[in-house]
Amino acid sequence: MNSIWHIIVTSTPQIVAAGLKYTIPIAIISFILGLIFAILTALIKLSPRHGWFSILKAIAYFYVWLFRSTPLLVQLFIVYFGLPYLKISGIFPNGIQLDPWTAGIATFSLNTGAYCAETIRASILSIPQGQWEAAYSIGMTKTQVLRRIILPQAARVSLPPLSNSFISLVKDTSLAASITIIEMFEVSQQIAAQNYQPLVMYALVAALYAVLCSILSWLQGYLEKRTSRYIKPIN
Amino acid sequence: MIKLENVNKTFGDHPALADINTEFKEHQTTVIVGPSGSGKSTLLRSLNLLEHPESGQYHFDDETIDFSKPITSKTVLELRRKTGMVFQDYNLFPHLTVVKNVMEGPIQVLKQSSADAKKTALDLLDKVGLADKAESFPSQLSGGQQQRVAIARSLAMNPEYILLDEPTSALDPELEAGVLRVLLELAQEKDSMIIVTHNLEFARAVADKILFVENGKILFDGTPAEFFKQPTQRIADFLAAMTFTTISDKAES
Repeated sequence: MNSIWHIIVTSTPQIVAAGLKYTIPIAIISFILGLIFAILTALIKLSPRHGWFSILKAIAYFYVWLFRSTPLLVQLFIVYFGLPYLKISGIFPNGIQLDPWTAGIATFSLNTGAYCAETIRASILSIPQGQWEAAYSIGMTKTQVLRRIILPQAARVSLPPLSNSFISLVKDTSLAASITIIEMFEVSQQIAAQNYQPLVMYALVAALYAVLCSILSWLQGYLEKRTSRYIKPIN
Repeated sequence: MIKLENVNKTFGDHPALADINTEFKEHQTTVIVGPSGSGKSTLLRSLNLLEHPESGQYHFDDETIDFSKPITSKTVLELRRKTGMVFQDYNLFPHLTVVKNVMEGPIQVLKQSSADAKKTALDLLDKVGLADKAESFPSQLSGGQQQRVAIARSLAMNPEYILLDEPTSALDPELEAGVLRVLLELAQEKDSMIIVTHNLEFARAVADKILFVENGKILFDGTPAEFFKQPTQRIADFLAAMTFTTISDKAES
């Protein structure tokens, strides 16, 4: 028992350090980029179909379809191991070589962006038509209506499902181990390979993911309360 | 002055507006009445281009819009600047406090300073009897109070015309009275108003002119005195159907 306790005490700081250095920054940066992709994609998918917008719409539909229809692990492999072989003379004569950090963030953000795009699109559609009409009737432009009236309300609606996506993403960053990023799961694998205690090590890293995600759940609750101040409480 | 000439609009194969010709004079209150689905709201909403008729001419002061041609967004914005709109279900912005609802247009559209907009907003809230609710959220107000805020919000833009689409239809009689008092006051101040309503008592009290619309056509365009004293057979039927006496008469016979 003593030896297990010793393993936990000595390994935890190493795993937490990897979390602070890789897991958390990758998750946060990917999610912020993902949200930007998601908002743009949602707005394009909601825009009227005319002129060059039809091309953008086709791209948006293809993007969401592509990233939701293929496994994240496979996407990571294609971007990190596959793209170096995409040799196009004149443009990429040596293939597209991305360092693990860039490949990871690019894949995670595009993947989460595809899911969040649907969340944000649904949230925008959930705001009653009367809100658009009222804002138009005081002379606002479409951009002003979106920015001032619709998106703030849609943000509140989308908070729970977006939190879901973020929590998923935090755990999915463990896949980055497969493209040589030494994040939490990779560190625990390396330690397990040395001390031959896979059960202890993987249970420990699972517990640390759980702690991280519990903090995020609590944060979600706090944000939901803050953004719902204008809603009549339902008893 | 607002003038419509030969305005037509169809929803599918249902004619919502059929060859509408009429005028809405400044400093007058025009009341539009008629059965449900007659095209009253479509007519009103065409005036600030929330609806887009397919043909006809729309004159607003010196400006003329030809509905059969595409309308630039600049024209749409300019026109909406000159018209305020009050909706049946208020459509206040729920995430903004009452005073910020009223300030939103002046700050974002008229580019007023926050201080100026707030001063005007508080004056207007005082006018509609809600100065003490300035910092509340709409969800904390009754329907009647929300509708009075919506009136203040449209007044804050200082529009040439205020368009009201069944402003009291969602309210019980007591709350309705509070809203109607505010509208009566505006009518007495000679604001230019166009009101769609089912409340004929109110129409009689406030209207300078009445339009009776059915099946997308204007069947009556004249003064309240003519409308109520010398109605055509169709209007007489409509008026009778709107009052309880005829129902109780039928129940007795």
